[in-house]
Formats: sequence, C-alpha cells, structure tokens
Amino acid sequence: MTTVVSEPVMPGVASRRKLLQASVSCLCSEAGFSAVDEISLETLTEMMQSFITELGHSSHLYCELSGRVEPVVGDVVMALVSMGVKHSSLESYAQRGRRLVLPTPTQAVA
Amino acid sequence: SVELSSTRTLGQPLSEFLMTLEDYTPTIPDAITCSYLASSGFEASDPRIVRLVSIAAQKFISDIVNDALQHCKMRGANTVQSSKNKAKDKRYVLTMEDLAPALAEYGIQIRKPPYYS
Repeated sequence: MTTVVSEPVMPGVASRRKLLQASVSCLCSEAGFSAVDEISLETLTEMMQSFITELGHSSHLYCELSGRVEPVVGDVVMALVSMGVKHSSLESYAQRGRRLVLPTPTQAVA
Repeated sequence: SVELSSTRTLGQPLSEFLMTLEDYTPTIPDAITCSYLASSGFEASDPRIVRLVSIAAQKFISDIVNDALQHCKMRGANTVQSSKNKAKDKRYVLTMEDLAPALAEYGIQIRKPPYYS
C-alpha cells in the first residue's frame, strides 16, 4: 500500500508526522483507550499516512484518466471504492458525537 | 437500468454530504491532509474534498482501533473475572497484542521489526 518508499529529507516532514500522530492519538482516546504503546501508535500513524497518500494518488489518477486537472468528488469516490472503503458509512461517521478536534497548526516563524 | 439507479444513489447523497462539510472540522488538520495529498500529486483547491479524505482516513483508523478495543475488552474479561470492583474504572491500553488480531481481520499481517524488542 505504501507508495513513497524513501522520502527525501524535507523541512516539515517531522512536524506534520507529529501532528498526524496527535490525530491518531485523538482517535484512540475517542475510542476509549487511555494509553497507547509506542509501536502501536507508530504502526497506526504509518497506516494513516499510507492511506492518505494512497487515496491521493489513486484519486489523482482517476482525475487524470478523465482528462481533468482538478480532482472532483467523483474521483475520490472512485478511489475509495477501488480501495474497498464503504463510502456510505462516512456520513454517519462524520456526524458522530463526542469528537475531538485538533487546533489548527500555526506557521512557524523561521 | 438497475445499474444506473444504483450509481445515482451512490453519487447523489455523497455530493449532498460534501455540502455539509463546508463548516466541518475533522480531527486531522486540513493542512496536514493537504500536504500529504500534495506529496502524492493531488492538488485540491476545494477544502471540502480534503475534509472528505480526512474523514475517510479517520474512519479507517477508528474502525481498526475499535476492533482492537473489543479484543482488549475480551482479553480483560477472560483474565480479570474475579475482581469485579476493579472493572469499573478500567483503563484500556492499546498494545500490539490487541492491534495485531484487529489488523489480521483486515488482512494486514504485522510483524515485529527484526532489530527492536
């Protein structure tokens, strides 16, 4: 599933990874866990990153296949279907109660 | 015509759902999803599409974590049958022991990295 094998060292990679890890932690505590061990958190973060990258890549390909440059919802839906995700359940998931939200990251002053 | 009606029911509610994402804040910050999408070649100018991707990714992880929690609870029920009063304020810790069977249900095999304990 992983498309990016070795990423070049770029500024911001570590910080966005950290924020993704914070999001995974939020989801774990939402589910009812009070603690996560390091290797599980790392595994889930990697899977989340892989999922987003894969979905982006796949949507992009569907978009270009139909001769467009800007992806539309249909492309994302096609990508979700080809990844085997049931998109009908997304709506109820989005409206779930007691959801945690991370604050918007601010731009670091260089 | 069966196929046509089914595609309509697939596409129609989702575009309505997309409208509701106008002022929705997913757990993953938009900027993070956006930058991962950009690194895979996807340039979304519409923030609602980015939010849809965030929600899909969150659901993917949440489903797995919920499965892991069920595994954790089941394991706890087997071992800590006697101490009933402790079960009230039980703290659940997510470990690979619970995550591995949950992932196996999704067809994902997890192996320990060879050089780390």
